Amino acid sequence: MKYFIAALGILTVFWPGKTALVEAKELPGDLPAFSSASATVRKLPYVYTEWKHFTVKNGLPNDHVFALKADGPKVWVGTENGLACIDKRTGKIKSWGEKDGLPWRVISALDINTKTGELWIGLLGGGLARFSGGRFDHWHQLNSGLVNDVVYGIAIENDNVWVATTAGASRYNTLTGEWTIYTEKNAPMEEIWNYGASYDAGKVYLAIWGSGVLEFDVATENWKHYLDPDGEMEIDLYRDDGIVHVITTGISHIDGILWVATYFGMSRYDGRYWRGMYAHETGLPSDFGNAIKGRSANEGWFATDKGLGVLADFPSDTWVTYTMDPKTHRGKAIVSRNQKVLESIDMPKGIPHNYTLWVEFDGNDTWVGTSKGIGWAIGSGYYKGLKDRPVHEAGDVRTKAIE
Amino acid sequence: MKRYMILFSAVLVLCALSCAELEEGKTKSIETHVQIDPETLDVLRKINSVSAYEVPDLGLPADDIYAKTAQDVEPFRHVKPFKEHFLIQVEYTGPGRALPEPQDLETVKLGFIGPIMSTVSVATGGKSHEETLGIKMLQGARLAIEHANAKGGYFKRNIPFELVVTNDNGLWGASGNEIVNMVYKDKAWAILGTIDGANSHIAIRVALKAEIAMMNSGDTDPTFVETNIPWAFRCISDDRQQGYLLVDYLYRKLGLKRIGIIRASSRYGRFGVREIKDGSRRLGNPIILEMAYNLGTRDFSLQLERLRKENLDAIIHWGDAIEGARILNQMRDMGMKQPYLACDRCLSDEFIEIAGKNAEGVICPSPWNPKGKNKRLTEFRKAFRKRFGEEPETFAAHAYDGMNMLIWAVQVAGLNRAKIRDMLAYRGTPWKGVTGDIMLSACHDDVGDVYLAKRKNGKWNFYSREDLKIPRGYISPRDRVSRPPAISSNIKLRTME
Repeated sequence: MKYFIAALGILTVFWPGKTALVEAKELPGDLPAFSSASATVRKLPYVYTEWKHFTVKNGLPNDHVFALKADGPKVWVGTENGLACIDKRTGKIKSWGEKDGLPWRVISALDINTKTGELWIGLLGGGLARFSGGRFDHWHQLNSGLVNDVVYGIAIENDNVWVATTAGASRYNTLTGEWTIYTEKNAPMEEIWNYGASYDAGKVYLAIWGSGVLEFDVATENWKHYLDPDGEMEIDLYRDDGIVHVITTGISHIDGILWVATYFGMSRYDGRYWRGMYAHETGLPSDFGNAIKGRSANEGWFATDKGLGVLADFPSDTWVTYTMDPKTHRGKAIVSRNQKVLESIDMPKGIPHNYTLWVEFDGNDTWVGTSKGIGWAIGSGYYKGLKDRPVHEAGDVRTKAIE
Repeated sequence: MKRYMILFSAVLVLCALSCAELEEGKTKSIETHVQIDPETLDVLRKINSVSAYEVPDLGLPADDIYAKTAQDVEPFRHVKPFKEHFLIQVEYTGPGRALPEPQDLETVKLGFIGPIMSTVSVATGGKSHEETLGIKMLQGARLAIEHANAKGGYFKRNIPFELVVTNDNGLWGASGNEIVNMVYKDKAWAILGTIDGANSHIAIRVALKAEIAMMNSGDTDPTFVETNIPWAFRCISDDRQQGYLLVDYLYRKLGLKRIGIIRASSRYGRFGVREIKDGSRRLGNPIILEMAYNLGTRDFSLQLERLRKENLDAIIHWGDAIEGARILNQMRDMGMKQPYLACDRCLSDEFIEIAGKNAEGVICPSPWNPKGKNKRLTEFRKAFRKRFGEEPETFAAHAYDGMNMLIWAVQVAGLNRAKIRDMLAYRGTPWKGVTGDIMLSACHDDVGDVYLAKRKNGKWNFYSREDLKIPRGYISPRDRVSRPPAISSNIKLRTME
């Protein structure tokens, strides 16, 4: 994939005008392109060109960012060495470590109970914590019904907190204090290695390493499971027959669409049809998906080990691929459709590192966690799907970065 | 004199070349205190020259075919799959290589996780059962550390290696906590372990997040490496390779048709027979009956009665040695005279003690040849006997190799977890171990030779595929996506002798 991107990048640099014109002729009829006196205009997705970075230099406790959660004017940050909170209005960062009462330094997951405002914190090897009113409360294997202390994912469902752990899932009722444990004994988990959790529209979704995706209906307490139909680890027999692989790493459900990340490719499910996505045929920078966040039925963001892949408009298979030049540290966004590059945008700043680990939406903005800091993508004028706009010419310097 | 002049000239040329190369590449100084080959030196130069944002341009190791799988036992062989995994190595693209080596260490810690203390077994609710294997594994790892320290420890700083030992207590999930502790509290540089398949999976998931190399020397579950984790390695041949050999032996060599399985109701039993079941079915001889038993069972009459009724040509057992021996004894008591084939865990003194004379004729696949003519193995045996007063076996020998691979990677790469990983991942030559040559595949698995052990005259004799002239199915030189699918099933595929 990197060769594909590099080659297309070179092509774009050397033949900027031709690329756009040739592409325009090959577009399907419903996506016309036309040239004005100043620039070619075509149906294109929104591209984030304004980025701000946060690293230890700005006050983060650690650059290795595993989780982010937007909460009004604040963004909570879970790092490998502590919790942080960014005040978007001032840009100031406050942080908490073990000396401040944080039960364990490595934070792997975050979620907010919007009803109470409590921050729930998943700890890699430390269990579960709640941060509320300036106080940390701690649950672990020895003092609660938390099934394991190695936590990978958290989802708030009504008054319950779902915790995806390495040895099953736990559900904690914050009103009654009741815990329920889900393992292979009472749920259709072929393996119990839970990785991600998501709640939407009355259902909890669990991404389970080796067991695909489980769906829990809160009203009926029934489980439904989704596996790779070929049942084989070393192949994906048919791309669109189900999840591309049973080793799932991330899950997100929105607008009736299930988005799934694996270390082998990605999947989208609309309740009837599956669509598998691989780097060699899409705008995904890599098949190694660390996280997925669906923004709508047609927009999914994939955090991979080689950059950020955004399926910006599912019906037209239009992608925006964000990467960082490892030499110059400049950002790059490539818009492609059906593997054809429509525009390549060079930016002073983009994602802070190509090893991306998390995505969080915040109104029109997007936050990206990486292994070398956070990228705040400012979505001035953000729009969903596609709209007619001028094509960014290669080397376009209209974009700006916020220092 | 002439000879010395030639030697002197050669040294001068080598020095000049070496200097020129360093100048040209403008790499940082290569601080290594071990002898390394030019290929490794090149890897080292490249990983030392990248920033936190760059990925070294090393080219990714690739395999043409996954796990040396014969075409006629490939899954869905008549269909071209959309995607084939594990043929190209998954690289590490994070910033870890730029982390500096700490200066204030007194020891270089290497982690060990294995079942070494008795605890509750998840499978049985009773006593755990893998300590005998785990203790052997620990002995092998400990001996490797002691040998390294006797040679000077970590050469770069003249400080000793220290083994950080943790118990994998067999309860699902516990291994994850132990890896977290070893990474963040003990600050180990790499980890060896463990045996249980589930616990090994849990451990490498944490290793991926925490970014630390894990070498496995005792879990033969094929799915261990089928996870795309760039931090996981294995130095023991798995049940896939052993299963392929058994299937070839039973059907292609002996021409048997009706095979039954009795296995432990555990992850080890379940996954261990998977390739045997799949291979049997794909070669036109589906397993006639598969019976499972709970760990700790002493009476297997229910399972054996059912198997007896099936008029089987042979019976395969997959589980621990104690149960394997008891099943064999009960089979013989019931008058069942079928050939008995068992997994490599039955290649143990425990099995022989319980099975007694019934062990005669038993056949087991083995991930190595413990009787191979190998100077390294001879020396290892001698040292092991001297240190522990007993013979090393599979788990001890593979742990010794695995820990030595980690020590080598540390000596060459220095104290940087990502670079330690790189040295293992990009090693281009086989590791010359006491268990044989270990060449890792693109997905970091040992796909070296496996053997069949036959019990005869009170001794185990080990045979290679070639020794027994066991035919092997045709292995395509091309991956599945780029080649036409296999021909129709009613046309026999080519068989390679």
